[in-house]
Amino acid sequence: MATLLSSSTSSLLFSNLSPPSLSPISLSLSLSFSSSASLSSSISLSSLSKRLSLSSKRLSLSSFTVNAAAAASEKKKVLIVNTNSGGHAVIGFYFAKQLLGCGHDVTILTVGDESSDKMKKPPFSRFSHKKAQTDAGRKKPGPGIMLQEIVDGGGKTVWGDVGAIGTVLEGLTFDVVLDNNGKDLDAVRPVADWAKSSGVGQFLFISSAGIYKQTEEPPHVEGDAVKADAGHVAVEKYLSEVFDNWASFRPQYMIGSGNNKDCEEWFFDRKPVPIPGSGMQLTNISHVKDLSSMLTKAVENPTAASGNIFNCVSDRAVTLDGMAKLCAKAAGLPVEIVHYDPKTIGSDAKKAFPFRNMHFYAEPRAAKDILGWQSATNLPEDLKERFEEYVKIGRDKKAMTFDIDDKIIESLKVPVSV
Amino acid sequence: MAYTPYSSSSLTHTLLHSSSSSSSSSSSSSPVSSPWLPPVLQRCNITSKCSLPSRFSLLLNPPSVAPNSVPPSRKVCQPKGALNVTASSAKKILVMGGTRFIGIFLSRLLVEEGHQVTLFTRGKAPITQPLPGEPDEAYNAFKSKVLHLKGDRKDFDFVKTSLAAEGFDVVYDINEALLESKGVNYTSIRPVYIYGPLNYNPVEEWFFHRLKAGRPIPIPNSGIQVTQLGHVKDLAKAFIKVLGNEKASKQVYNISGDRYVTFDGLARACAKAGGFPEPEIIHYNPKEFDFGKKKAFPFRDQHFFASVEKAKAELGIVPEYGLVEGLTDSYNLDFGRGTFRKEADFTTDDIILGKSLVLS
Repeated sequence: MATLLSSSTSSLLFSNLSPPSLSPISLSLSLSFSSSASLSSSISLSSLSKRLSLSSKRLSLSSFTVNAAAAASEKKKVLIVNTNSGGHAVIGFYFAKQLLGCGHDVTILTVGDESSDKMKKPPFSRFSHKKAQTDAGRKKPGPGIMLQEIVDGGGKTVWGDVGAIGTVLEGLTFDVVLDNNGKDLDAVRPVADWAKSSGVGQFLFISSAGIYKQTEEPPHVEGDAVKADAGHVAVEKYLSEVFDNWASFRPQYMIGSGNNKDCEEWFFDRKPVPIPGSGMQLTNISHVKDLSSMLTKAVENPTAASGNIFNCVSDRAVTLDGMAKLCAKAAGLPVEIVHYDPKTIGSDAKKAFPFRNMHFYAEPRAAKDILGWQSATNLPEDLKERFEEYVKIGRDKKAMTFDIDDKIIESLKVPVSV
Repeated sequence: MAYTPYSSSSLTHTLLHSSSSSSSSSSSSSPVSSPWLPPVLQRCNITSKCSLPSRFSLLLNPPSVAPNSVPPSRKVCQPKGALNVTASSAKKILVMGGTRFIGIFLSRLLVEEGHQVTLFTRGKAPITQPLPGEPDEAYNAFKSKVLHLKGDRKDFDFVKTSLAAEGFDVVYDINEALLESKGVNYTSIRPVYIYGPLNYNPVEEWFFHRLKAGRPIPIPNSGIQVTQLGHVKDLAKAFIKVLGNEKASKQVYNISGDRYVTFDGLARACAKAGGFPEPEIIHYNPKEFDFGKKKAFPFRDQHFFASVEKAKAELGIVPEYGLVEGLTDSYNLDFGRGTFRKEADFTTDDIILGKSLVLS
């Protein structure tokens, strides 16, 4: 079962830092091989197909060997330029931790000023000069705690504006740079130009699967048409012109401890869950460790990764209704969903729902084909962990108001259980 | 109809085609009259029982449905999809049935590959028929090479005996679960929705009828249900690739198109394929209607798609046809020439359209 594979890997990654000589990915692969002769593969994407889990022999032995060799041979100096806000900051943290676990040298440059107002607010305010917070259990783990863990793991953290990046990082050289900071050329060009001039060998960029043009033939596959005016598109184009070795990673939605942006929490907070349209919309919700493992693969297989776009997502679709049901199941609660037409609530529609009201589904085909990467996201299991944290920080007891939800339900005049 | 595979000898290779979709209800059409009947090459002298050769293997055919009409032959250019498959050593192959849809394309590929192909049928339908647009020489060349084994597959003993007598290397047929339990060396192929010329399931045909009649297309609920179509020629090629491939032993493969499609998207793709203007699509709530025994829509009202990555990664099977391209092939070689399996029936459409309460 796909379940078995991923649950074994989820306990391996990030429970503690793996020994430097072994990549967590290699470790998980070797465990899988030794546990049984056959591994499951996620073939059927239909949640309603009865033939979901199948046994098959993976052909990934060769990619495993290559990966192990790469991991063992070259220690890289990696710079992660990380956003100081926004939902994808968490990618930078997981990537840093995984690289440190593989024995690489990691520096995180958080964009902005350490003493800025942002840094004074939680979760940043809990970082750097404080020891392990006694109130950590009561707050959602955020960038502050994550950065602390990185420092504990041997990584370095700096703050600065990208405009002054040369000064901020004076005297430092890197083999690899990941920009997880910008969504347009204004934000990324300074980083790219500095990286080029300082001899960085490999430039990686966190783009977005949101740049794909809508299609009636899902999924979004690497190489499909993108919106020409998207900022990320301009960045990708620029990188392809400037660097010999570059790669772009297009994520969607993610879950994972340390994520600043609500994803599954939105569902945990609510009953009933108001979902626009039919609820059949497909999307991709990945555990952030899938993203970091893909990035790590690219670092350790730079030649293979070079010049490629990678959809940075898990390899399963989930419907919006499905996500509500999975969250309810993880919480051990019955699910209640109400569907509504977003047109009936006018301008509130955007704020009403955190996901796009359309099919928004990409598949990680390039990562699988080119990097030999495998997904470890297992929503049913992962959401259980997420709910445990949700309860641990006391969010289930927190008083909340749902003005827009109330409007929606009122407009539907649907009786709601108390 | 259960076909029990043989349990005795070690079987070298079994290829299964199991339907992963519950097929549409059996066709209620009357067969189109078939004025032409090719000479039937019969195999006689089936000897009495003998033990099975050790290299006996089972392959699978599409699930049987009620016999359907056979389109009259037409003369046109060779359909796309000429084979680039590297030939494995020539084998003696038995196809159970093989006279319709998948079997028609598959048997041609096998003959082109240089294998000796025998079709096992009761002989009620024509054993071979030309493909739409197939030149006479090509058809005759095929016809002259393919053999016929006449019999009833339900006659277990007869089948067993004939198979033993002939010493087939490979057989195409059905019945996955039993094979696993019998320890037979098999490969299982799972298509999703199959389409293409000569399709006996009204998949694309259902849309074409409505487009041709200039009628709106009624689609249940949201129309964003995601499904997946695989071209019959790509499916036939997949069967060939699996043939004699060690890697495929005891494996299951989803074989279908590279992309999925929404119901609404499929309606529009069919319109493009047939050169029709963009259709009017009407969404309705099926719960509000009673269609009796009739099916108002040819697909299951749900998401239904499967990744074909395993076949790609392990066997290098890559579907050739994109959706619009494949539907165009189907239209040009079949419906567009005036042929189809099921007569247009707009009864359920009119029920839907007659009601004023429809989903926008």
